[in-house]
Formats: sequence, structure tokens, C-alpha cells
Amino acid sequence: MLDVKGVDSYYANLHVLEQISFNVEKGEKVALFGPNGHGKSTLLKTICGLHPAKRGSVIFEGQDITSSPAHKIVEMGIAYIPEERYLFTDMTVYENLLMGAYTPKAKGKFQENLSYVYEIFPRLKERKNQITSTLSGGESRMVAVARGLMSEPTLLLVDEPSIGLSPSMRKVVFQSLESVNREKNITILIVEQEIRDALKLSERIYMLKKGQIIFERTAEEADVKEIEKAYF
Amino acid sequence: MLTAMNKLINKKHYNYFLVLAVIVGLAVYPYAGATSYMLHLFILFFIWAVVAVYWNLLLGYYGIFSLGNVAFMAIGGYTSAILSITYDIPPMITILLGGIAACLLVTLFLGLPALRLSGIYIALLSLVFALTIPSVLTLTRDFSGGGVGLHSIPGFLPGLERFQNYYFCMVFFLFAMFIKHRIIHSKAGLAFVALRDSEDFASTLGVNRYYEKLKVFAISSFMTGIAGGFYVHSQGDITPSLLGIEPFLLGVAMIELGGVGTFLGPVIGSAAIVFGNEFLRLAGTLRLAILGGLICFVILFYPGGLMQFFSQLGDYYNKIINYFRK
Amino acid sequence: MESFVNAIVSGLISGSLYAVMALGLTIIYGISRVFNFGHGVVALIGAYIAWAILQNLVFSTATYIVGIVVSMVFLSGFGYLLYLLTIGPLLRKPGWEISTVLFMLGLGIMLENIILQIFGPRIKSLPIFVSDHFRLFGVRVNWHDLVILVLVILIVIALNYFFKATKTGQAMRAVSQSVEGANVVGININWIFGLTFGLAFAVTGFSGVMLGTKYYLDPHIGWDWMVIGFVIVCFGGLGSVSGAILAALILGIIEALSIVYFGSVWVWPIWFVIFVIILLVRPQGILGGRS
Repeated sequence: MLDVKGVDSYYANLHVLEQISFNVEKGEKVALFGPNGHGKSTLLKTICGLHPAKRGSVIFEGQDITSSPAHKIVEMGIAYIPEERYLFTDMTVYENLLMGAYTPKAKGKFQENLSYVYEIFPRLKERKNQITSTLSGGESRMVAVARGLMSEPTLLLVDEPSIGLSPSMRKVVFQSLESVNREKNITILIVEQEIRDALKLSERIYMLKKGQIIFERTAEEADVKEIEKAYF
Repeated sequence: MLTAMNKLINKKHYNYFLVLAVIVGLAVYPYAGATSYMLHLFILFFIWAVVAVYWNLLLGYYGIFSLGNVAFMAIGGYTSAILSITYDIPPMITILLGGIAACLLVTLFLGLPALRLSGIYIALLSLVFALTIPSVLTLTRDFSGGGVGLHSIPGFLPGLERFQNYYFCMVFFLFAMFIKHRIIHSKAGLAFVALRDSEDFASTLGVNRYYEKLKVFAISSFMTGIAGGFYVHSQGDITPSLLGIEPFLLGVAMIELGGVGTFLGPVIGSAAIVFGNEFLRLAGTLRLAILGGLICFVILFYPGGLMQFFSQLGDYYNKIINYFRK
Repeated sequence: MESFVNAIVSGLISGSLYAVMALGLTIIYGISRVFNFGHGVVALIGAYIAWAILQNLVFSTATYIVGIVVSMVFLSGFGYLLYLLTIGPLLRKPGWEISTVLFMLGLGIMLENIILQIFGPRIKSLPIFVSDHFRLFGVRVNWHDLVILVLVILIVIALNYFFKATKTGQAMRAVSQSVEGANVVGININWIFGLTFGLAFAVTGFSGVMLGTKYYLDPHIGWDWMVIGFVIVCFGGLGSVSGAILAALILGIIEALSIVYFGSVWVWPIWFVIFVIILLVRPQGILGGRS
């Protein structure tokens, strides 16, 4: 479904991603691990068009999206859930979700997706008229995921969803990702620093270090110790 | 032979040699058959180059978005003129006082309030500041000459001729360039330029950045105020038109045309504008439209200005040299 | 006492005019973070187009409306194209904060000069909408001023509706709150910015027409209007529409009072001092969140 080949990415003169190649099959749950600052976020941003790739290609469902603008990529079915969340801070939860269904494709499924999202995140339904800047960290993370789901995606790029969350919140978020994949067959590519929860969720993992993919494992083969060692 | 020439073009020596040649050339020029009119233009060039260079120091190197530098020049000039006319103080001293006045006023009323905040505030405040000064001049017309301006301003020393004014201004110009060079290459200066585009580092340095900016703002307004002093005592008059749109635009054009953030850019830019102003005059009332259009054109298509153009020429030159090497 | 009340009323009227003028600035800054240094010229163009149309057609309420509509349509197209062709590309390069400002300054002066060429330097004025006045509690009120006040209120209501209830307006609000978030939900940022400029230019043009009826019209007055707009927007809080309106009213009153008690030559220094005080005491303005 998603094919990344030989991607090189820079921030000014800093070579952040080197010849990244990997793939994600439809319906899969894949995790990307790596220490902070080694390019995980940049990789997701490059895939969804928020950051340019100097070299290489990104192919989604057979189409080359390497130089497509971000809003077109959303229309094609990729939703990026940023670590920073980037919520519309002066809008309510409901309004954020409404904006999430901006593309025509998503607009058509608005009510359906809204009920689904309220089902997996009952907390959000309670707070639907609350301004998002007043939400807690976990709640705003939920809004970010929910908003992404409102765009009718077939692929979710989730950037460090567990950062700053309490263990119970983390559980809710990961469970929601699990449900979404199971019930709607949405493919998930998750980038995480925190190993255990993401490992439990995924079927395959990659390890990103210093801008390069240094190994790939299936979830059964993957050994927490090996991954932790690779961080240093 | 080409290889021998290339050996000579050892970067460092080449630069010193060039600078020396330029200084000697400038010094000898009045005796090499320069007309009085050309001397007049050169004097204007020296003065405006200093204004442009110190404006560029703020804009291009330290990222301080000041729009009021021509007003600093006017403050320095007016102060110097008023003091020398009203109180008979020798111009060499009033010029200094003018610089100090400009520095104090500007740093107090512009620097302190606006430098803590994001860039746009300095731009706004300095623009409003510049537009306020003509009103102040009208209110104080008894000694500032109001709309009529001040005339018969004494020269640097009694009984000077134009070519002596030339030397005064030339020395000032060279001195100002030297000071800027020292500032840019000082430890603080280099660090600041390296940090200029990096917001994250900048915020961790918080307070220091503010004081550094205040310092360079003070220096810039001081030097620009002194340039104003040199202006009034070499030209003999000053009117509020110096605070109008045209000088302001000319200043902007000098910086953009030359290349923001480069050392020689504003010098080249001011040379182009001062000497090219003659052609502009031919355009009559369309002058401003052409100037405005020129600025737009440069920003859109040639943001590096003439410096970018010259370095492209330099690349072509290198390509040709390499071609002949084979 | 009467002159005091008159000053207040007059200040409210001019304040409401300033408010509409500052709206365009606020809209552009709030959504795209570009500070429009060509704002004055846009208002000027709006006024001059209306004037030119009135010169060539038989004067009546209908032709006046035609003039205003044509002016606004032209400016919205102009704003959209200007963004697409020039500002947009500049935004994508580093140093855009400075380059957009200097570019708009240069453009503004160029256009101002062209207006001078076409229309000449002599002062013109736009005819007022309605003549005559009435007395309210002993204070003289012009019908024309009342019409202006009503129009301003209508515009504010219309804009409010646009931003709250239409999809495009909501998208603009979203962009103003988080550009990255807008990207992530599939909003075409470039197109929104273009529309923003178009909308803001149209509103500004309209404010120019109204200012032209109340004050005089010459090619250079755009600067004064623009600087007033700057101070208002900063006082009200960058990006806050309600802040700008409130600020405009307050400052309009202060200006009117200063003219009555100090004389018009003090106006500029007073604006400047106000500005400095704002920056020192409360840079984010009365209702703003950003600084």
C-alpha cells in the first residue's frame, strides 16, 4: 500500500533521512522505533507532504505522491496525526472534528464517522462543546486521533501518540488504534519512542537510527532488549 | 600564465590588495580630474553608504526589522544643525552630539519598547516614529525651521571647499566600514549571525539576545545620526523632505538592490542609487513609481541583489577558467 | 460641554470607519501572518475607482452602489492574483517576514504614484451618501454619519456570519489558529491565503470609499490611513477582529478629543505616544492572544 524508496530528506544542510526504504501492506500495523531527533517525525512529515524529499519516491496505492501537496494527500486517504497535535485551539472538540471532515469525501461520511469516533472516545462526546485549548494532554491527543479519523483515511500515520500521557490514557489511545484497524481495516504506521505498547500493537517493526533504517523484524521475532540496545 | 594568475588570486591576499587599491583610488580621485559635480555625488554616496550599511547591519545581520533609519539620520542632522547654528558650537562637536542624540532618542523610544517583541513591532513603531517627526519639527519651528528647514549651515571647518568635504566624508565612510567589519567579526556578532535563523536556539538565549540587539541598535543609530551630521554640514541645508517617502524608498532600494545581509551589498546598492538617481530625475513625476517597481522586481526575482548578480558572474568566470584549463 | 460630547460622537464615527479599515489588515494578518504594508494604497484604490466611476456616470444612488460594487469586485480579484503571483512565492522562501513587507511597501508606493499620474494631485472628494443632519439630545448628528455607522455594523455582522457559518470561512478560521492543523485536515492553504487577500482587499476598498466621503481624497492620504490601521491593530491585539473594532472606537474618540483640545498638529505625536505606551504596557493588545 505504501512504498517508500530511497528517500533523502534535509533540514537546511542537515541530512536528516538517508536512503530510507520500507513498505507497509494494506491492513497492516507497522511500528517505527528510534531515538529522539533521528528523523522519525521527519519521515512521517515527508510521506504526507509536509516536508519535501530531496531524493527518492513515496508511492501510495500505486500513485507517486512524492511531490504532491499535503491537502491532496489527505484527499487520497492518508491522515497524519502529529505529535504536536496542532489542534484548532479556539474551536470546540466538535468543531475540530467538523474541520477534520473537510474534504468532500470525508464530508459525505461525516455523521457516520462522528458517531464512530464518539463510540471509541466516549470522553470526547462528553466534552464535545469544550474549547480544545482547555483540554488535558490525553484528551487533546484523543481529539487529534479522532480528527484524523474524520478525514476517511485508509492509512493513519501516528506520530508518538503516547508522549506525555498517563498509562491509562495510553491504553485508551492504543486500544482505539487497534479497534480502528480491526473494524475499519485502516492501515497503521506508528512512530514511537516508547517500545512496549507499540510493540504489542504492531505486526512488523522497523528501527530508525541516525536517519537510516538499521533493521526490520516481525512482531514475533522482535526482542525488546535488542531494540533498547539499538537506542544506544 | 593563467595558473600564475590563479596563484595570485589567493583569496586573503586578493582581498587586502583590493581594499588597498580602492582606498588609494578614492584618495587620489579628486586630483585625477574629478568634476565638482562628481565630488558632490561621491560625498552623497559616502554618507548614504554609511546609512545603508548600518541599516543593513540591523536588517540583514541581526534580523532587527527597523524601518526608521533615514529618520535616525534626520535626527542626527537636525540636532547637529540646530546646535551649530543656534549656539555656535563647532560642527565637529555638534556632529558627535547629533549622533548621541539620535542614539539616545531612538534606543529609548524604539529599542526599549519594541525589541523584546517579535520583528514586526519594530517595523511598525519605527515607521510611525519616522512619520511623527515632521509634526515635531512643525511644533518646534522656531529653532528647527519647520517646513522651511534650516539653511546656511556651517561646514566642518570655516571656509572649506568641496574637495575637502570629500575627504572628511571619505574618512568617515572608511571608518564606518571598519567599525562594521569589527562588529560582524566579533565573537558576539558571529554567534548572532549563526543564530539568526534558528528560533529554537534563540529562545534559550532569551535575555542575552535582547541586550545584544539593544547594543547593536544603539551603535547603528549612533553611526547613522553621525552620518546625518555629515550630511548637513557638507550640504549646508536640511528640510523635512528628508523624512519623506522618497529618501525612505531610496534607502530601501539601496539595501535591496545591493543585497540584504551582505557586507558590500549596501555599498554597491547606495552607489547604484546615488549615481543612478540622475537617470531617475529624468523620469520626472514617475520617479517613485520606477523606484517602487524596481524594489518589487528585485525582491521577487533577484533577492540577493547585485551581490547575487556579481557572484553569478564570478561563477561564470570560474567556469570559463576551468574550461580553458583542459 | 457641547464640544466635548460632539467630540465623542465624532470620535465614535471616525472610530467606526477606522474599524472597517483595520479589519482588512486584521484578516490578512490573522490568517496568513503577513502584515500588509500596502494597506493604505488598497483603500485608496477602492476610493479612486468609485470616484472614477461616479465621474463617468450620471450620479444617483444606483450608480454610487455600482461604483462601490465594481471597486470591491476589482479589488478582490486584484488581491487574489497579487497573492498568487507575488506574496505566495515570497512566503515559501526564508526571510519572508522582511521581504513581504518591503515588497508591499515598494508596490504601495508604485501604485500610489500611478494613481497620481492617472488622477492628478488635486484633492477630490466622494459625495456623501445623504445630506442634512438632525439633533439628538442637543448633539448634532449627520445622516451621512449614521448611514456609515449602519453600514459598518452590517459589514461586521456579515463577516461574522461568514467566518462562523460558511465552510470557507471556517477553514480560514482554522488556518488562523493552526496552519499545520489545517494542512493535516486537507485544507488547501495556498488557496485559502489567496481568498483571504481577496476578501480583505475588498473590505479595505470599501472602507476607503467611506473614508473618502468623510475626509478628502488625495494620492498620499493612504499613508495616514494605513498607520492609523497599524496602531489600531496592535492596540486591539494582532489577529483579533473584536479587539480591532474596540480599539478603533477608543482611539477614534481619543483622536477627536485631542483635535478639539490640542489642535490637529498634535495628532501624530499623540498616536506615537499611544503606540509606545501600548507596546510597553500590553503588547498583545486589549483582546489579543499573540504578541
